[in-house]
Amino acid sequence: MTLDHADELVVPEGQPPSATGRRTFWHRFAQDRFAVAGAVTVVVYVVVALFAPLITRLLGVDPYTYDLAALDATGAPAGWGGGISAEHWFGVEPLTGRDLFAIVLMGSRTSLVVGIGATVVSMFIGTVLGLLAGYLGGWVDWVVSRGVDIMLGLPALIFMIAIGAVAPESFPRLLLLVLVIGVFSWSSVARVVRGQALGLRSRGFVRASQALGAGHGHVLFRQVLPNLAATVVVFATISIPGAIGAEAALSFLGVGVPPPTPSWGRSIGDAVTWFSSDPMYLVFPGLALFGITLALNAFGDGLRDALDPRSGGRQ
Amino acid sequence: MTRNTTRRRSVGAVSAAAALALVLTACGANDKDDSATGSPAAAQQGGTLHILTSAPSINWDPATSQNLAITTLGLVERRLTAWQTNSDGSTEVVPDLATDTGTASDDGKTWTYTLKDGVAFEDGTPITSQDVKYSVERSFAPELTGGLSYHKSLLTGGDDYAGPYDGKTLDSIETPDDKTIVFHLDSAYGDWPWIVSMPAFGAVPEDKDDVSTYTTTPVATGPYKVADTQEGTSVTLERNDAWDQSTDEARTAGPDSVVFELGQDESVVAQRLIADAGDDQNAFGATFVPAAQLAQVQNDANAKERLVTSGPGALAYLAINTEAEGLDDVKVREALQYAVDKQAFQVASGGAIAGDLATMLITPGIPGREEYDLYPAEPSGDPDKAKDLLADAGWKDRPLRLVVPDDAPTRAKAEAIEQGLKRAGLTVKIVTQPAEVWTQTVTQGDGSKYDLTLSSWQPDFPSANGNIQPLFASSQIGDGGYNLSRYSNADVDALIEQATQETDTDAAAALWAQADRAIGLDAPVVPLIYTKNSFLHGSKVQNFEIPDFPAYPNYLKVSLAP
Repeated sequence: MTLDHADELVVPEGQPPSATGRRTFWHRFAQDRFAVAGAVTVVVYVVVALFAPLITRLLGVDPYTYDLAALDATGAPAGWGGGISAEHWFGVEPLTGRDLFAIVLMGSRTSLVVGIGATVVSMFIGTVLGLLAGYLGGWVDWVVSRGVDIMLGLPALIFMIAIGAVAPESFPRLLLLVLVIGVFSWSSVARVVRGQALGLRSRGFVRASQALGAGHGHVLFRQVLPNLAATVVVFATISIPGAIGAEAALSFLGVGVPPPTPSWGRSIGDAVTWFSSDPMYLVFPGLALFGITLALNAFGDGLRDALDPRSGGRQ
Repeated sequence: MTRNTTRRRSVGAVSAAAALALVLTACGANDKDDSATGSPAAAQQGGTLHILTSAPSINWDPATSQNLAITTLGLVERRLTAWQTNSDGSTEVVPDLATDTGTASDDGKTWTYTLKDGVAFEDGTPITSQDVKYSVERSFAPELTGGLSYHKSLLTGGDDYAGPYDGKTLDSIETPDDKTIVFHLDSAYGDWPWIVSMPAFGAVPEDKDDVSTYTTTPVATGPYKVADTQEGTSVTLERNDAWDQSTDEARTAGPDSVVFELGQDESVVAQRLIADAGDDQNAFGATFVPAAQLAQVQNDANAKERLVTSGPGALAYLAINTEAEGLDDVKVREALQYAVDKQAFQVASGGAIAGDLATMLITPGIPGREEYDLYPAEPSGDPDKAKDLLADAGWKDRPLRLVVPDDAPTRAKAEAIEQGLKRAGLTVKIVTQPAEVWTQTVTQGDGSKYDLTLSSWQPDFPSANGNIQPLFASSQIGDGGYNLSRYSNADVDALIEQATQETDTDAAAALWAQADRAIGLDAPVVPLIYTKNSFLHGSKVQNFEIPDFPAYPNYLKVSLAP
C-alpha cells in the first residue's frame, strides 16, 4: 500500500515558488503529455464520482435494482457481452441482473472516498510526525524513526483484514476503511518529511527566525512546513492509487464495504469465478480500477518531474 | 441435521462435503444393473479416488460428527444399520454391524440388535456389543459435543447421563452377551432403525479411546482405515484388511485408496473437474458446484455429462429471530413472508437447477407431506401487501441485521433478500462473519446479535421429524441447537412430542403435517427454496449417484473405471 518513491523525491528547497517558478512549473508539466492525460482522467473520474447518482438517475438505472429478465435460466446474463444492451451499457451482473454500468459508476465513489480519505489521514499523521522528528531531533526523532521502522515491517494487509473482522458491526464501514488504510500507510511519508525537515533545520532562514526569537510553532508552521508542501502534495498523489488498491483488495477479500454498496474490489472478486462464462463482468470494474490507478500514477510522476528539474526524465 | 453448505459449514460441511464422493455413475458396462439390485460385488475394484472438499479437516470422531450414513465417515466406521441407495432413487435402512434393522418389543419401547459374525476392528479384534454401547455412551460426554443428538432424549436416563469418562454407564443400554445389545426408550419410537445408522451407533474400543486424538485417528471398522493425515491438506484412506465384504451390503469398496483433498476452493474444485485432467478424472467434488460454474457447465456438453443434480432436498429458509425487538410481532413476520423475493433468491442460488420455490417446511418426498401455502403471492413476493401489514403492526423502522457467513454464494443470496425486503420499506443491514463466528452468533448465546439469518436444512433421516423438531422445538434454542428463529410455542412443542411418540406411521405423518401448518401460522421462518445440490465428478468415476433422500451422493458405492 505504500509506494516507495521516497528516495526519488527531491523537491527544490528554499522559499515557496515565486511567480516565475510557478510558470516554469506549468510549462514543464504541460509538456509531459502522459501526465496531462493522467490529470484529465483524474478530473473526469472525480466529476463522474461526484455526479454518479445524478447520472444514473438520468439514465434510469441504479446499482441496487434487480432485473431478473436480463438473465438466462442459469442466472448468467442473457445475450452478448454479459448482457450489453441499450438499457444496460456495461451489461448486467450475473445472478442479480443489476446494471453493471451503475455499479461501476457508483463504485467509483467508494474507491475515491477511501483512496482520498485514507491518503489525507496518512499524510496528516506522516507530516506531523516527520516534521516533529526532523525538526526537534533527539528522543522525539528516535521514537518516530523506530515507529516508522515498525510500521514498515508490519504485514499491513493482514492487520487490516484482522481489524476489519473484529471491528464492531455498528462502526461505519467506510470510515473504518479510511482509518485503517490511512493509519497503516503514514510511515513512508513520515520518513521523507523527516529527512527534508532535518535539512531545513540548519538552513539560514530558519536559523535567522530562531535568532529573532521565533517560537517552535512559528518556525515549524511558517518557515519549515511551506517548504515541504510540494513534497507532500506529490507524495499524496502517488499514495492515492495505493489506498484505492488497498480498498479493492480488502473488498475483494470480503472485509471491505458491506454489500450491496458497490465496490470495484468486490465486483472483481465476485467476477473471478464468472470469468469463463461472463468475462465482461470482470473487464468493466477491472478497467475502471486500472484507469484511475494508472492516471493517478502518471499525474503524480509528472508533478514530481515538473517540480524537480533534477529528477530528469521526460522533459 | 445435515446441513447444506450454507449452514454449519464449520462442522457440517466437513461431513457433507467429504461424504459425497464415491459412488457410481453410469459408466461401468456391467455395474448399472447390479447396482440396482444392490449387489456389492458389482463395483470395479482398484484405483485411487480423490475427493475434493472445501472442509479444512475431517472429524472422524463418531460422537461429534453429524455425517450422513452414506458419506465420509461411512467409509471408515460402520454402524448398527446403514443406508442402501437403490437405482430407483429410494433409500432404505439395512443392517450393517447388526444382523437386522432391529427387533422391537414392549410396544416399540425396547429395541434389540444382534451383531454379525465376522465383524472386527482394523487390528482384527472382533467387535462386541460392549464396544457399541461404549460408543453410544461417549456421545453423551460434555467434552464431546456437536454430534447428532436425537438419541439422547430418547434413551431412558439419557437426560441425566454425562458420559462414561467418570465411570458411570447408561443402564438403558444392556449387553446381555458379546453379540446382543438392547436399547430401552422412554417412549415408543418408530424411526429407531434410522437413529442407529447415525455415527454414534458404531463401535469404539474403550482402550483405544482418546478424546483428543480420536478425531484424527479412529479405529476403523469399515472397508478403509485412515492411513495418513496431512493437517489442512489431505487425508488418505487405505484398505482395511479386517473388513469382510460378505458382511456388508451397503458398501462396495471399489477404490484401493481414497484421498481427501482438504481446504479446496469451491470454484477451483469445479474448474478442475470441468477440465477433467490427470488425477482429476478419478475425482469428485464434495462441495456443491457454485452458481458461476453451474452456468458454465450447462453450456459445456462434456462437463454436463458429469454433472449430477439431486432432487429437491434441503429447505433453504430465512430465519426470523422471534425474540428480536419488533420481530416478536407475528404481523411483522407475516409482512416478511410477503416482502421476500423468492425468485431473486432462486436466481442468486443459480436458477431453476438450484432448487424449486418453497412455501412450507416439510421437504418434498417426505411421507405425509401436505402441500400448503399460507401466504400466497407471486414468486417475487407482494411488497404492497407487506407494507400494509407493516403499517397495521405499527412497525418502527430500524435496520434489521441479516447475519450470514462471509462466502460469495451466501452473500449473493443475502443481497437477494435485502433487495426484496427493501421494496416493502424495510431496512436490512447485511453483516458477514467468518463461518465459525456466524455459527456462534446464531446457535449460541442469547441471540441478541442477529435479526435475520439464512440457513438450509436437510433432514437427517427421511421423516418429517427431521424437518421440524431440530428447527422449531423450543429445546433447540441456543447451546448449539438449530432453532435459529428462537421459536417457542408450547402447543407446537406438545404436538412435536406427540408426533415423535406416535408409532403408527400414518398417524405420525398427519401430526407432523399439522405441526408444519401450526408453525407456518406463526411465520418464524420464510421458506425460500427446496435446494437441489449439484456435484461434478471426473470421467473415470463410476456409480456416482444421488438418491431422492438425502440430496448427497452415496460415497460408499463409488468406484473407478480401470
